[in-house]
Amino acid sequence: MNIFRYAPLAIQLAMIFIVIATAGTLLAYFSILRSRYLGYRQDKRMSYLLPKVDNLIIEEVLTNPEVTETSYSDQLILNTEGFQELPMHKKWVREAITGRIMHFRRNVRGNMGQMLRSLYMQLDLDKDTMKKMKSGKWEKKVQALTEFINMDMSISDVTILPLTNSRNRELRAAARHAYIKLSKNEPFKFFDVVTEPLLMWDQVELFRIISSTEDIAVPNFARWITYSSNKSVVSFCLKLIVHYNQLPAVPAVIKLLDTKDHYLRANAINCLGKLRVPDVEEKLVSLYSSQPLHCQIEILKALGRISSGRYIDFLKQEFLHSTDFDLRKSAAKSLVKNEWIASQVLQELIDTANPENLRILKHCMNPLIKY
Amino acid sequence: MSGILETLGNLYESTLFVYGLVLLIVYALLAFFSMLAIRGYLQKNNDHQLDLLASSPMAPGITILAPAFNEGLTIISNVRSLLTLNYPRYEIVLINDGSTDNTMQLLIDEFKMVVVEYAYNAKIRTQPVKKIYKSTDPAYSSLLVIDKVNGKSKADAVNAGMNIATFNYFVCTDVDCILHKDTLLELIKPVMQEEGKRVIAIGATLRIANSCEFDEGVMTRMRPPRQLLPRFQEVEYIRSFVLGKMGWSYINCVPNVSGGLGLFDKEVAIRSGGYDHSSFGEDMELLTRMCRYAHDNHIDYSIRYIPKTLCWTEAPSTLKIFNRQRTRWSRGLAQLIYAHFGMFMNPRYGKMGLIIFPFNFFFELLAPLIEFTGVVSYIVLAIMGRINWPYAVLLLLFVYTYSVMITTISILWDQLSFRYYKSWKEVLYLCMTPFMEFLLYHPLIVVYSIRGYYYFLTGKKSTWGNMQRQGFGKKK
Repeated sequence: MNIFRYAPLAIQLAMIFIVIATAGTLLAYFSILRSRYLGYRQDKRMSYLLPKVDNLIIEEVLTNPEVTETSYSDQLILNTEGFQELPMHKKWVREAITGRIMHFRRNVRGNMGQMLRSLYMQLDLDKDTMKKMKSGKWEKKVQALTEFINMDMSISDVTILPLTNSRNRELRAAARHAYIKLSKNEPFKFFDVVTEPLLMWDQVELFRIISSTEDIAVPNFARWITYSSNKSVVSFCLKLIVHYNQLPAVPAVIKLLDTKDHYLRANAINCLGKLRVPDVEEKLVSLYSSQPLHCQIEILKALGRISSGRYIDFLKQEFLHSTDFDLRKSAAKSLVKNEWIASQVLQELIDTANPENLRILKHCMNPLIKY
Repeated sequence: MSGILETLGNLYESTLFVYGLVLLIVYALLAFFSMLAIRGYLQKNNDHQLDLLASSPMAPGITILAPAFNEGLTIISNVRSLLTLNYPRYEIVLINDGSTDNTMQLLIDEFKMVVVEYAYNAKIRTQPVKKIYKSTDPAYSSLLVIDKVNGKSKADAVNAGMNIATFNYFVCTDVDCILHKDTLLELIKPVMQEEGKRVIAIGATLRIANSCEFDEGVMTRMRPPRQLLPRFQEVEYIRSFVLGKMGWSYINCVPNVSGGLGLFDKEVAIRSGGYDHSSFGEDMELLTRMCRYAHDNHIDYSIRYIPKTLCWTEAPSTLKIFNRQRTRWSRGLAQLIYAHFGMFMNPRYGKMGLIIFPFNFFFELLAPLIEFTGVVSYIVLAIMGRINWPYAVLLLLFVYTYSVMITTISILWDQLSFRYYKSWKEVLYLCMTPFMEFLLYHPLIVVYSIRGYYYFLTGKKSTWGNMQRQGFGKKK
């Protein structure tokens, strides 16, 4: 003790830290040991439980003769005796069963999906989900919302709507997905109010939910193209317009070509090209010279996609006279896509092109090269 | 005279004390930040998200750039490994950098490659591209091979790949690295989930492949290396990636994305001029220039790391090759600091100038020199009989226990998050390594670093050496 008392401050600190570091290291070892043990126990439990659960689900649902019935009734009582033999009073067992039902439901449709949903409810697993929903922890709420979405369980708009504006991004996103999937009123209502940008990830998740939800009332997305001030919503709606091939939305998309945001304009051009609207070609060509590079590339691509054959000369001029490599390549690709009418022009270009342009043409004509 | 020496000695001692204290505080902070970052990562991510992205038509396209130089031993299994990646929209650009062995012929034969007329646009200048190959077999339609004149650097090869890359993001890896099948899904996620910033680079944890088992380029059994030298490197990688890089990622101050695996924003990388073929630390150099470009062009950027191990690389198992590798790395660091010294403490470059650069300068570049001078002065003082041995031993013990604790914490974060390795014995093996690291491994690093600085100062010629791979065969 005296050594410590009379030592300089640096040495005193060193002594304290030696004790702390040794204790910290021992604690870390103990934590590693504990975590490995818990993981080992969990693996062992699961390796015992999961095959049983899978077998029961296969027996009671996937190979159930009722599955072939043309319309399955929610009222059908499934035989859950096998499940009751499992230690259902334990939370981790119920969690594991919910996980497996969700796993199977992701991979099936129709009556099988409905029966899995019935099983989930008959085992009272929805009560666990509801408890999670009421939890104060955001991650529990997200888990609950994911389970509700997967099981297609209806929840009141009043419960979900406040969460769609949560400050927590994960919760906000999950609530929006749930709202679109489960709301019986206006599933796309939040598009009207969303102020912050939809991230690329949000768009992937929303797209999946929208495109995989059966019987969803698909609105005319031109509504948000015209009125939304949120650029990410507009951009996302353009993708949905392409996905649903919404030709009535074309006038709204054409109007969007006047926007000052050139990224959004490029998206609009891309959308029109993918919708293959021949009437817009003239407008696109007239805009061409005043556009930034990426919009010009989109215009050339759109002319290739539409492939009406009316702007072969324009594409040829761009291919021959543009100074930018990417523009020449895009023009060449679009010429090749118009080959049905431009074969003579292509041959002429091949015969007269300089080595670089010839290489571009051969690149675009080679079926082995995709991009 | 003795008074001046006394004053200088005291000044040196005080400086070292402050230096050491700051370093310890930085590591403690990194341990804390990495815990928060890993917890955030685990809360946000689940396997279902990967399935969702893997089947999404909205997944952004990614180009994989894999340079190869005399990799005949492993090239086929490594390309097969890249072909099995789980991602809906990607292409593989393999750059044969003038190999003198049968690398190119093996590729042609195995993957039915034919020469194509390809519209190659050299946005970054490289050594000439001789031929470009595509496969006639639709199963390998995503594979493209560039055969170019040797550029004497990995940088030149990757730059050629960048010129030809189709998509807006590219993943740079070494062809001898084995990637996890979900690598692309994992790497692109932070780009898609970032709020308000443009993610210009993302890295992930690398691990040592030496004792792992592989089948046709796919990792089937993960093990810590049996040999001591690679095992030291495994522990060092865990500390560097799981604790260091994750901690830096939490405060958006990642100093480097490893050359073994990183995803980059192609536009920013090309506009920054691509990799510098004269640099010995081309990965760190590119990232520094990308940050510089982003600052100069008012791009609000971020660089992220993910804690999951997505890449396994063969580590040097002999001192000779290890020496060559570390000398090269430290020389690259010295080059970088010298070339970009204008960023040092320059508020114009934000966190890069005020945090990352000073850290690299003081605690990466100067650390081996300070340690070396410390050991020398220790010996001198010992000879002069001016060492208070009980105190000296206590201080050494303090540094030793602290370094063991920091490394053990990084192993703990790694184990709590992913529970890698199958058996307890393997984890125990790894946990024992930090006790020896301080005494056996760390001095080597100091010596090789100083050697690298010496080569930098004297301008000794050095080339992109071949690592003499053992290859990842299937376990017999």
